[in-house]
Amino acid sequence: MAAVLRKLSRRNILLFLSILGPGIITANVDNDAGGITTYSLAGARYGYGLLWMMLPTMAALVVVQEMCARMGAVTGKGLSDLIRERFGVGVTFYVMIALYLTNLGNTVSEFAGIAASLEIFGVSRFISVPLSAAAVWLLIVKGSYRIVEKVFLFACLIYLAYPLAAILAKPDWMEVARAAVVPDIRWDGGYVTMMIAMVGTTIAPWMQFYQQATVVEKGITREQYAFARLDVIVGCFLAIVVAFFIVASCAAAIHQQGLTVETAADAAQALAPAAGPYATLLFAVGLFNASLFAACVLPLSTAYYICEGMGWELGVDKSFREAPQFFGLFTLSIVLSALVIMVPDAPLLAIMYLSQVVNGAVLPAVLVLMLLIVNDRRIMGAFVNGPAFNAVSWFTVGVVTLLTLILTADAVWPGFMELILPKG
Amino acid sequence: MAASNASYFASALLGRPVIDKLGQPLGVLHDLSMERGERLPYIAGLVVRKGQETSCIPWIAVDLFNAYVIAVDLERAPAEPFDPDGEGVILVRRDIMDKQIVDVEGARLVRVNDLKVEGCLDALCVTAVDTGVRGLARRLGQERLWGFVSGLFRKDLPHKEISWQFVQPLDDKVTSLSLTVSRDKLVDMHPADLAEIISQLPHEDAEKMLLSLDDETAGEALAEMEPEEGGRLLSRMEKERASDILEEMAPDEAADVLTELPDDEAQELLGLMDAEDAEKVQELLEHEEDTAGALMVNEFFALPPAMTAEEALGHIRSKALETELIYYVYVLGEDQRPLGVASLREILGAPPQATLGEIMSQSIKAVHTDSTADEALEMVEKYGLWAVPVLGEDGSLEGVITADDMLSHSLRDSNRRKRFRAKRSF
Repeated sequence: MAAVLRKLSRRNILLFLSILGPGIITANVDNDAGGITTYSLAGARYGYGLLWMMLPTMAALVVVQEMCARMGAVTGKGLSDLIRERFGVGVTFYVMIALYLTNLGNTVSEFAGIAASLEIFGVSRFISVPLSAAAVWLLIVKGSYRIVEKVFLFACLIYLAYPLAAILAKPDWMEVARAAVVPDIRWDGGYVTMMIAMVGTTIAPWMQFYQQATVVEKGITREQYAFARLDVIVGCFLAIVVAFFIVASCAAAIHQQGLTVETAADAAQALAPAAGPYATLLFAVGLFNASLFAACVLPLSTAYYICEGMGWELGVDKSFREAPQFFGLFTLSIVLSALVIMVPDAPLLAIMYLSQVVNGAVLPAVLVLMLLIVNDRRIMGAFVNGPAFNAVSWFTVGVVTLLTLILTADAVWPGFMELILPKG
Repeated sequence: MAASNASYFASALLGRPVIDKLGQPLGVLHDLSMERGERLPYIAGLVVRKGQETSCIPWIAVDLFNAYVIAVDLERAPAEPFDPDGEGVILVRRDIMDKQIVDVEGARLVRVNDLKVEGCLDALCVTAVDTGVRGLARRLGQERLWGFVSGLFRKDLPHKEISWQFVQPLDDKVTSLSLTVSRDKLVDMHPADLAEIISQLPHEDAEKMLLSLDDETAGEALAEMEPEEGGRLLSRMEKERASDILEEMAPDEAADVLTELPDDEAQELLGLMDAEDAEKVQELLEHEEDTAGALMVNEFFALPPAMTAEEALGHIRSKALETELIYYVYVLGEDQRPLGVASLREILGAPPQATLGEIMSQSIKAVHTDSTADEALEMVEKYGLWAVPVLGEDGSLEGVITADDMLSHSLRDSNRRKRFRAKRSF
């Protein structure tokens, strides 16, 4: 007891508060447009059916993010740095192409979120998307990201509306609790796709790069590592709590009422118990905030990782001539994503959802590389994974890969899933 | 073997088959081990991999070595089992390729895309590292494709080679870390460039790089960094060395860094510093942030009114290098209160025997230690000063704020933003 109290000294608490951040920020960016959409759809379509995935997903998320925080703290290098130094330029080059494509998909989904949220207010996407794209670009090149980040994080308090809505919708809590721990696996294409999408949106490939980069940027060293670990756990917990309540409130307010979700405005119904007539407004503001924030973070951070890995000049303070690849990469992401959304009648909800599936497919590759690095004694010294950690992470990789392979097979040969499913 | 003076890129050699005298395949070339030579490092052995087995073949066994085939005579020197963790073993692929190095000309960090080896006398020496786009394309086996694409834009794929003479590992014992240019090259760099490079390095390398510099250069670089980051580096350093570096810094810059450290740590460092330097820093530390007291420097010329212009010039000459502001001489009475101020120009222009009391201008514009930074800035702007004197509570002269410190303070927000963005912005 005395030892515990000693650990709780003022100095240690201050130290923890100063290190706090990377995990929580990553977790909040994680609940972006694609995240909100996927969780809403999961609740609206399958009720409480998918809640059981939350606990194992959180465990997997903690394991994965903890490894990144540890790699960042021990080596002081970003993930793409480590991939380049450990596996050479060939692997890095193709991983970076895959990462660029998935993050492009995610950025598209963020702009879809912007379009969808502003269309609720009656703003045409042909106005909102080009304007937001220009705003994002200017914010990156001319603005101060630090301030923007604080505003967005503060606005994330909107997520508190979901637990409130879930409580006010008066669900059967026994049912919710049961659904949260008893697995309910259904072998049909839609359900499995949804499972993969949930894993994909909760554990997205960009998050590992982002988490590690923020740990490195904060200058956290191996000595302060215990605090960074706590930060990761707190962050992952918060992310999953928010996700849990989005699913639960959508299940209670949409699925149980027998409603369907076709547009983003439909998904706002979930908040009706808490916000009443303002539900749509609240949903729109929340979605807009999350989308715009992630639309700033993703293109910019992707450009950083790629330039870091390839050894190209980077930094927003550089001129286009000094760092052409850097500026080219993020400008291209923003322009391409905005253009895709402006294709007439682009199915926004489907795009947001699909990008999560792509995430799920690229994730195993990144995880395998991470595991090889984190187990390399030359790089990590005494901080390599323990056997339990390795077992959990290899298991995660195995499960995600398996789910993805099944999904892909089903897309190529429709009916494949029925073939391998147990009858009944 | 009798090596020609042909040059190769490591990427073209790695992965090539290695055969013995009879033409039997021994495996593929997995890596090249190198050893420090007198002028340039040379290739000491081939690391050959066959299936899961790795062996090391000494260079003297090599008969034929080019980008198509590598033939060895194992009777001359047998293959040895390869120990990857052996002391002092430097491997080209593992330890050098893809690592970061400092490009001094461009003042930035780049990655080693490829390595150039050239035959010199009867050895094969490492002569240059390739950090350009062409090297990247070559490593990926896409040199022709990339060349074709850039040809469409009427451009050549850029070459960028850094001669090995400029490359030197940061740490002699460890091999697996970023390389950098030789230390004297680093010292020549502008402290601001050096600071930017250090802040982009992984923390252990940043520390090593800072340690490899002399105290003065390290202090200059530290002063150019964000205080938060400088504090972080300093607190991880050995205390003795950290205090030596602090001594080399201007007191106000040292104070900026020390404010970022926990109190006990800052006091410990101050205790290790030279008493006189420590006192100056301590004084500055006591003032609240953003007041004139926190911005001022306490190295300035304060001379008595009876001193002649000639004596004053002698004094300035003798102390010029250790004083930040030499343009103004403050004339103090016995109670340490300023009576007036004389500029260097006025002193130079005055007859040698004129006293400072006669030369000085009596209307002295000053602020107090607890004045705001903005008040001091207004004074600089209004009266066109190079520096504003700062008075303590009792009216004695405590320090001066120079116009350039003022400028960087008032530009700090935009500067900070810029520097922060220089590193990362997410």
